[in-house]
Amino acid sequence: MTYQIADEPVETSLRAYVVRPNVPLLAMMMCGAWLAWPWFAFNAVAMGSPTRRKEIALCVAAVFGTGVLGALVIALDGVGLLPEGIPLRLALLAIVAFKMSFAYYLSTVQSRTFHVYEYYGGPVRPAGRLIMAGSFMTGLVIGLSDHPLWHIIVSGRLW
Amino acid sequence: MEDRQITVLLEQAEVQRRLGNHRGATELAQRALALDPDHAHGHATLALILLDARRLPGAGIEARAALALDGNDPYVHRVAAAVLAAERKLDDAWQHCLVALEEPDAGPAAHVLGAHICALRGDRLHARELLHDALALDANHTEALTDLARLALRDGEHGEAARLVERALETDPGDRDAHVVAGHVALARGDTAAAEQHARFVLGQDATSHGGLHLWAAVQARRSVVLGLWWRFNTWMSQRDDNRRVALLVGAFVVAQIAIIVTDELGFDTATRVLTLLWLGFCAYTWFAPALFRRMVAAALGTVRLDPSF
Repeated sequence: MTYQIADEPVETSLRAYVVRPNVPLLAMMMCGAWLAWPWFAFNAVAMGSPTRRKEIALCVAAVFGTGVLGALVIALDGVGLLPEGIPLRLALLAIVAFKMSFAYYLSTVQSRTFHVYEYYGGPVRPAGRLIMAGSFMTGLVIGLSDHPLWHIIVSGRLW
Repeated sequence: MEDRQITVLLEQAEVQRRLGNHRGATELAQRALALDPDHAHGHATLALILLDARRLPGAGIEARAALALDGNDPYVHRVAAAVLAAERKLDDAWQHCLVALEEPDAGPAAHVLGAHICALRGDRLHARELLHDALALDANHTEALTDLARLALRDGEHGEAARLVERALETDPGDRDAHVVAGHVALARGDTAAAEQHARFVLGQDATSHGGLHLWAAVQARRSVVLGLWWRFNTWMSQRDDNRRVALLVGAFVVAQIAIIVTDELGFDTATRVLTLLWLGFCAYTWFAPALFRRMVAAALGTVRLDPSF
């Protein structure tokens, strides 16, 4: 019989698929939000993170928030309040910054559990190939719809 | 019988913590708490172990549990102050520290903790006063001497820092923290070889010592300008809490992107290209430098001979 410390991850059957928390963050930069948010959520569950509910809620909030901001930008553009050029590009930059803030924060929150997970010898999977594959698939995912809101929600590259 | 067992387990846990065996210490404290989950001292001991192991979220939960169970125990207040200080909740930490300091039999350890909190609050004068108070209670208190040396080093008083840390090492030649400070003093005086000797000693005693690894990395950073830059940037960032770090990183991104957008829209093509390349370079540098740095430190650590008792 032992005492369970609140920051310890619980055992799951998905431990073999855990990646470092900076991998979904890199996915956000290299591939887009379509891969990053589900990956953050999956990693939280696979790791058995005690804060997984918070992490999943943050992913949902990020998608929802991006949708709201995207709809706002599209609406302002539609009525001519956001002219092409610097104003529109800055508005889109604000959305990317919003997504990056969530991604960095999620990565930070997940890192806390990850350190404990790694401390107890939890396996960690390299993810370079997945990122590479995701990068190639990004065009395909974005092309699934022509609607600008879809593009805003699923993209997220830094360049 | 159970009480006695818990006391023994917690004493053993404390011994293991001091030896740097955080995993063993954690397991012992967990066994004690399995016998009595409402043992305030047990939660406080576990909080201290987790704090040493740099598991701050867990340490915070355990310290708060200890306080909720026994808000009158000065030891619990001391641990809570240490944890809150690590969480950078310095005003709350100071309040708990005051409770520990106001105890009639407050030992030098409470004064040293108070000094640590004052130093974090930027009140180095008060910190020094508290450390002198600790030395008045015990003239050879190694931790107080070491922390005074650390403050002197921060204030640029290298000679005074060297004298104090020498005294600490005379009192306890095996004190790892004193060796770490001695290493940083040597580094500040440009003696990289001596700093490396101190780092080797600490890591030989405890290969997982955070202070030892920090000193070792600082020595390696001194030897490489490119990685040294990253080390300084990383050290500067690590002094900020998580939210501030996120804000700084996203802020840097936004500023760079605004500059790129504006120069692009105004038709300054060369400036746009230069800014884009600079930004990409910064991204690549901050991404690859930590990996390179870790590899370099790991390679160098391969030459450290561990003490047989580790």
